[in-house]
Amino acid sequence: MAINKHHAIDPDKCTACTICITACPVTAATRKFRGPKMTGPALTRLRKLVSDDDPMLDYCSNCKTCDLVCPSGVPISTLNMLAKNEYYKTHPRKSPADDMLAHSEKMGKLITSIPLASTFANLGMTIGKSVGMLGAMGISSNAKMPSYASESFISKFKKIKQTSYQRKVVFFSGCFINYNQPEVGVDMVKVYQKNKIEVAIDENFVCCGSPMVAGGYIDDARVNAAKNAKLLKAWVDKGYDIITACTSCGLMLKQEYQELFDFEGMSEYAEHMYDSVEYLAKLHDEGEFNTEFANDSTEYIYHAPCHLKVQAIGRPSMELLPLVPGIKIQEADAGCCGISGSYGFKADKNPIAMKVGAKLFGKIKDSHAELGVCECGTCRLQMENGSGVPAIHPLTVLRKAYGL
Amino acid sequence: MLKTTVVVIGGGATGVGILRDLSMRGVDALLVERDDLGYWTSSRFHGLLHSGGRYAVKDKEAAKECIEENTILRKIGKQCVEATESIFVRAPEDSEEFEAEWVKSCKECGIYAVPMSMDEAFKLEPNLSRKLLSAYRCPGAAVDGFRLLWQTVASANKYGGKAKTYTEVIGIETVNGEVAGVHVRDRWTGEEYKIACDYVISATGSFAGNVAHLAGIDVNVKPSKGTLIAFNHRICNHVVHRLHPSSDADIFVPHGSITILGTSSIDSAPDDTSSETSEVLDMMNIGKVTFENLYDYRILRVFAGTRPLYSADPNAKGRSASRGFVALDHAHDGIKHFMSVCGGKFTTYRLMAEKVCDIVCEQLGVNTACRTAEENLVDGPSDDLMNRAKAVFPSYGAELAASRLGNEKLERVIKRIESRPETKELVCECENVTLAEIEEIASEPSSHTVSDLRRRTRLGMGTCQGTFCAYRSVGAVDKDDMPWAKDTVFLFKEFLETRWKGIRPVLWGNMLRDIELTRAIYDAALNLSGVDEIK
Ligand SMILES: Cc1cc2nc3c(=O)[nH]c(=O)nc-3n(C[C@H](O)[C@H](O)[C@H](O)COP(=O)(O)OP(=O)(O)OC[C@H]3O[C@@H](n4cnc5c(N)ncnc54)[C@H](O)[C@@H]3O)c2cc1C
Repeated sequence: MAINKHHAIDPDKCTACTICITACPVTAATRKFRGPKMTGPALTRLRKLVSDDDPMLDYCSNCKTCDLVCPSGVPISTLNMLAKNEYYKTHPRKSPADDMLAHSEKMGKLITSIPLASTFANLGMTIGKSVGMLGAMGISSNAKMPSYASESFISKFKKIKQTSYQRKVVFFSGCFINYNQPEVGVDMVKVYQKNKIEVAIDENFVCCGSPMVAGGYIDDARVNAAKNAKLLKAWVDKGYDIITACTSCGLMLKQEYQELFDFEGMSEYAEHMYDSVEYLAKLHDEGEFNTEFANDSTEYIYHAPCHLKVQAIGRPSMELLPLVPGIKIQEADAGCCGISGSYGFKADKNPIAMKVGAKLFGKIKDSHAELGVCECGTCRLQMENGSGVPAIHPLTVLRKAYGL
Repeated sequence: MLKTTVVVIGGGATGVGILRDLSMRGVDALLVERDDLGYWTSSRFHGLLHSGGRYAVKDKEAAKECIEENTILRKIGKQCVEATESIFVRAPEDSEEFEAEWVKSCKECGIYAVPMSMDEAFKLEPNLSRKLLSAYRCPGAAVDGFRLLWQTVASANKYGGKAKTYTEVIGIETVNGEVAGVHVRDRWTGEEYKIACDYVISATGSFAGNVAHLAGIDVNVKPSKGTLIAFNHRICNHVVHRLHPSSDADIFVPHGSITILGTSSIDSAPDDTSSETSEVLDMMNIGKVTFENLYDYRILRVFAGTRPLYSADPNAKGRSASRGFVALDHAHDGIKHFMSVCGGKFTTYRLMAEKVCDIVCEQLGVNTACRTAEENLVDGPSDDLMNRAKAVFPSYGAELAASRLGNEKLERVIKRIESRPETKELVCECENVTLAEIEEIASEPSSHTVSDLRRRTRLGMGTCQGTFCAYRSVGAVDKDDMPWAKDTVFLFKEFLETRWKGIRPVLWGNMLRDIELTRAIYDAALNLSGVDEIK
């Protein structure tokens, strides 16, 4: 296939300068991965010519550090993902875990729809781990799997009584918050209410598709993108801003959709999309952020997720959290944690993920902080798993500081 | 003293075709080439294996020759031909009457031209301009010049035919009005020597006039230069022609990892391979009719070659052996057993050789029939060999290396990697060329420069145009057992200069950014230009 220019994908911009290889956390961990420039722009040219086994495609974790450092604006990781998705149309999958990890929403729906299922599912994970079931499925027994909540965020949201305000946002919770850590969603609503913002949700939103793309199921992701894009555009037309509290969902909806797909209205709604803390930081700039905090003397260490960095929105959490009186918070500044969504859960990739994250784990341990802070759910799991220190969302810190 | 029956001068398509044909008929033959094989027109061309469609209306004979040879080459030259098919598209500014005549003519010539809906065409080629009106599928294909030449020589080798590169003919010796041999000079050592022979065939293309002059004979070649633009990736997967009377910049050929747009036609000197920015811009504006977003695509470089057009000099007693090319028997000019061949097309190189060799063999009293259409140039790799290749080459490397190298060399390269696995590392990342392949080609006696390696492997022909593979390849060949690679500064300069020559006329956009990086590495960091300190 020739490269379609109607897309925002442009391998022609690559000058082969190799900065992406120098910055790639996976290449640094294993030379089995020749690096983003090779799997992305360089091989994109050759894939038009020949097809071949391409084990390297699976090594890219889609952390997007390459996109961040590229001086030529090449969407390198997206070229990788497109190639990977094209590849699995004609090649057998190596890992039986791919399907499950890519379709986390399906799992989440199934488990939370049956009473007590989450208890059994979580138990199942533990038992499965101990009897080597997960290993057989291609899931690492070393990774900490997310557990399922007994009640979804959407169900909890409906029970929250909100005050109506003029400033309105729609919250795209995403699968992880909805099924695994619904309290983060509740934190978000509470903190936003405290800042005179009314939060809406939309039960018709579906999984953003990020794990599908990373797992090589782009056709499924396209279906989801079409649905979400239409809904999001409609909310923006009604005067709502869009908020995400998962940096991967945010990146996907705001940026990757436009790189991968071609649906109407995407660039329009994207202008009204914010990360949950970024939005509060914007309020702060406008002098409207509520800083009536109680004292918090906890020691925190903050890790900036790759998918936040690549959004080029700075470190809003490091702007706001230090406003809490008494707080001690430092930034880990230790690169990628290694997990990259579902990557680190795969048995064959887990050792790479742990090696990538080693610097971060060391920093967390050495800091003697009581809690890690991070916007990304799977990063938090990896931080806990690698360092033994629990990690929470910055909104949780804010909720506590508001005394809620 | 070296002795052979026939000396073939010129290692372009015409010369190697003749060498193979003679060798297969059992005639002792030696080819001498002044530069590297395919240094001139036979690589500075469009790489189109004509279906004949382009000539169907105006020149039915040429069209028929093309489709016949196209069919043969797709069979015997599998490793050099990408059987992509071609699509002819008509734009609003192209005449509808011409389309009707063209369809009729293709049928008469035996060239299939299958009409398709524009929707189908856009599906096959998503980048085509949506303004186009009609489309047909034809049996055109892409052909790799370097590969075809080397594989043709490899085929001749099997029958005892030999080729010597960097060997320039500087004199033609005659005794009593009959050829007795040629005087040659080794371009690297400067050594001059004689090769005795009974027959000389000059297949020197645009230089045919110069070579005939060595024997005091006039051959009226009027070289006509054409420029070609190479784009960074495959804009299309089929050859795409404009459906109108042939003119400039109306063909796109997807060629390996790149796309080539061409061409133009300007009277020139035989060795004029320069291109001007204005030519490029003119061609881009025409090309835009076919692919409307053409300016968005990155141009890698431009290059130019000269067509060896024979001008029918009324005084020349030529003999037209076929449409489009001449075989001039200089017995008419007073020298027996000396022939000049020029004109023609790359596509018909085999047929030209057949016709020339029929005449030559008759004069030499050899009556073996031509068999060049029946035998493959090189054998394709066996499944077994391909499996071994796949086990050692990096992804996408095995198939590319197999078609570049042919069977025997592929096996040697595989052995290198099997015994030293580190040689599977890539020297050229853009075109996927391994260290083992570079070492193998570099160790051949025909290699004298990094550009020689480039022509054999595609080293440095991709996106970065040598920025990263120049220092790697020079490092790879700078070894004790590589006597030609002593002067590394020369190697760098020779290689990079040839790359820069093609980039200079298109120094804008991403190529400009890329070349600044190259300059930073080679000029600033390595001080290749050798700027001295002011004393
Ligand atoms: C821009 C352009 C595009 C073209 N596109 C196509 C196409 O798409 N399809 C197609 O079929 N045809 C195409 N052609 C035509 C085709 O390329 C030529 O017809 C063909 O390559 C000519 O080959 P040749 O061997 O006659 O000449 P050359 O390839 O030029 O070979 C002649 C050789 O003789 C050597 N020589 C000269 N003097 C001496 C000496 N004194 N001693 C030793 N050696 C000497 C030279 O170094 C040279 O290598 C194109 C031509 C041009 C210019």
